[in-house]
Amino acid sequence: MTGLHGILFAYEGGRGLGELAQHRVPASVPFGGRYRIVDFMLSNLANAEVTDVGVVMEGNYQSLLDHLGNGRVWDMTRKFGGLKLLPPYVGRDAYRGWMDALRYLKSYVEEIRQEYVLLSNSDVVVNLPLREGLDRHVASGADVTVICTSNTDSGVEDTYFRVDESGKVTETLHRVQKTDGKRSLGIYILSKELLLKAIDECAAHDEYNFIAGVLQNSELAPNVNAFVWDGFAVQIKTLKQYHECSMKLLQPEIRADLFCRERPIRAKVDDEAASYIAPDAHCVNSLVADGCMIEGSVEDSILFPGVTVARGAKVKNCILMKNMSVGEDAQLDYIIADKGVALGSGTRLAGNENYPMAVAKHSIV
Amino acid sequence: MKKECMAMLLAGGQGSRLYVLTSDMAKPAVPFGGKFRIIDFPLSNCTNSGIDTVGVLTQYRPLELNRYIGSGQPWDLDHTDGGVYILPPYQSADGAVWYKGTANAIYQNIGFIDSYEPDYVLILSGDHIYKMNYDKMLQRHKASGADCTISVMEVPWDEASRFGIMNVDGDDVIVEFEEKPKTPKSNLASMGIYIFTWEKLRKYLIEDEATEGSSNDFGKNIIPTMLGAGERMVAYRFEGYWKDVGTLDSLWDANMDMLAPGSGLNLLDRKWPIYARSVSAPPAFYAPGAHVAHSVVSLGCTIEGAVENSVISQNCTVGAGATVEYSLLMPGAVVEAGAKVSYAILGENSRVGAGAAVGCAPSEAADKWGVAVLGPDTKIEAKRTVGCAMMVDKHGQEVAR
Repeated sequence: MTGLHGILFAYEGGRGLGELAQHRVPASVPFGGRYRIVDFMLSNLANAEVTDVGVVMEGNYQSLLDHLGNGRVWDMTRKFGGLKLLPPYVGRDAYRGWMDALRYLKSYVEEIRQEYVLLSNSDVVVNLPLREGLDRHVASGADVTVICTSNTDSGVEDTYFRVDESGKVTETLHRVQKTDGKRSLGIYILSKELLLKAIDECAAHDEYNFIAGVLQNSELAPNVNAFVWDGFAVQIKTLKQYHECSMKLLQPEIRADLFCRERPIRAKVDDEAASYIAPDAHCVNSLVADGCMIEGSVEDSILFPGVTVARGAKVKNCILMKNMSVGEDAQLDYIIADKGVALGSGTRLAGNENYPMAVAKHSIV
Repeated sequence: MKKECMAMLLAGGQGSRLYVLTSDMAKPAVPFGGKFRIIDFPLSNCTNSGIDTVGVLTQYRPLELNRYIGSGQPWDLDHTDGGVYILPPYQSADGAVWYKGTANAIYQNIGFIDSYEPDYVLILSGDHIYKMNYDKMLQRHKASGADCTISVMEVPWDEASRFGIMNVDGDDVIVEFEEKPKTPKSNLASMGIYIFTWEKLRKYLIEDEATEGSSNDFGKNIIPTMLGAGERMVAYRFEGYWKDVGTLDSLWDANMDMLAPGSGLNLLDRKWPIYARSVSAPPAFYAPGAHVAHSVVSLGCTIEGAVENSVISQNCTVGAGATVEYSLLMPGAVVEAGAKVSYAILGENSRVGAGAAVGCAPSEAADKWGVAVLGPDTKIEAKRTVGCAMMVDKHGQEVAR
């Protein structure tokens, strides 16, 4: 089987996520009732039988370190290779881009055992058949394969590709305002050999951006191919988008796509019993993880493990994270409550569709 | 390395009184309470009690159990020194023998136990639901200077004749053991949990093996023989929830106990967590038209119909217009649209077709009521009716209890 190595970049973004990213990089923001955002890309790699993955991190990465541990959840605790956490060297400036980071990690790249490398952001919520993507890359003989989508509202970044009928990328448009062509998912496959060459080339010209330095460099990568994936895919940038994307999971067809049985998304174990719904409780159109105790009313919401909703409480359009508690007769609408938040009896909090309200970790109201 | 105390878990029994549920798997592997299997209870109790070396004796249909236990990591029992070991019967130079009885199973593994040089050995069963701190029992064993400590609990007097009963003196030293006595003198029932001083047990196991006609069983042979020989046997009183889930009714009962606040079985209590091997499934989805009350629901479920007073395990589906009441759905069970499931146990990956009916309430039973049971992988065709107390195996055949 052709070898693939994964490198996930987990060092940037999160400015639009307010309280949720106060203590975290976007990769470790909780999502979907029991996951962290990074679980999706790690599971995609695991499902493609990739065992060696490096995670490039910088700034605010404590929560990500805790979450990743030794990588056992994704079967990446291996005698050789496995999950490698790549924190920055002390005293250097923040990474300006992927190629900047890779320049500092060149010795790591040199040690890669596999012939091909996948580069990706760590904060993309998507379920992809990466093995198919790799096979296609190898068969096409392309220098780089870009993974992109026709859904211009679901892509991840401001990069678009014009793609011809054979799947060849004819033009790469970077930092454009209007949508044009296939939108990038920020996931790329190339050979280790080309990557090493690109690192040197970019370093020589002080080019830190992968798109400008590699994809748009026709000498370095003349043949770029597209692998189009039109399933659910988002890179969450703002709280509003976080709320909208979360609520999309209440649609059966989106869940069927994102949580398909053939490629399960693997999450850290909760060690909680099944959730209990009391005799007079009401729970509809919601996702509920294990360990919850629902005595009140829950509608159109997502509950992480260990959430309690006391008698008489009304929860609607909310995302309640781990061990969060809602007191008796409290009323919540459009609230995103972080881990361990405790809302006392009778509390009334409301955001709205355009401004969901986030309540910071461990707050007591 | 030397261990002060290690555990040996008897998990080889067929569990024949669970009928179709154990046709392809050993009893300890039977699912329980929405996300557990029975064996999670003793294994988690060991970890929580600080016992890090556990031998699991398997014999009957061990595949499911072996796969489930794996490296022991979910219970924190993947140690370099100690951890969990699966111990099936083996062939030796003298030939091969199955485990002839509970005592013989331990006898055949004397070498394994000796390698840890334990002072004490804890003997456990794989068919009980309870949370217990074995360390407290061990401290009592040491303090009382006993050779054997047997965990007991008070049972209602009118039920005492169904148990092995310990008659004790004022210091809870056991003076007599009676198996299912017609007229019990005490209501202290043995829970099938023993701590032995290893040196003593070792001697009696060897003697028992040499005794012709012995059943090689703890309850029938080892305990009475030790008592007869005047060894110091002490009862350790346990208070709390404990249930033998060896029958279909008691398995159903114990699952329903999870829903009863007064039962004492609180699995949401984090002070004494029960661990389980986890599945990769998203949170449960409650559809817009769902009605769920007084029930537990686990990961990966999709509930579109009505569920009351039931335990719904991982990856189950209850279709629109379907009703499930007073039932236990094991992992992957599907109840299609409009079907009715009442007072039933649906085995793993079983399927009740659209509009079919399984089980009935005691009030609707014509003569003899009982829980209806579908074996694992059983498919009930659309509109078929499976009456109460009926069991259906994976070929769709009704089987008698």
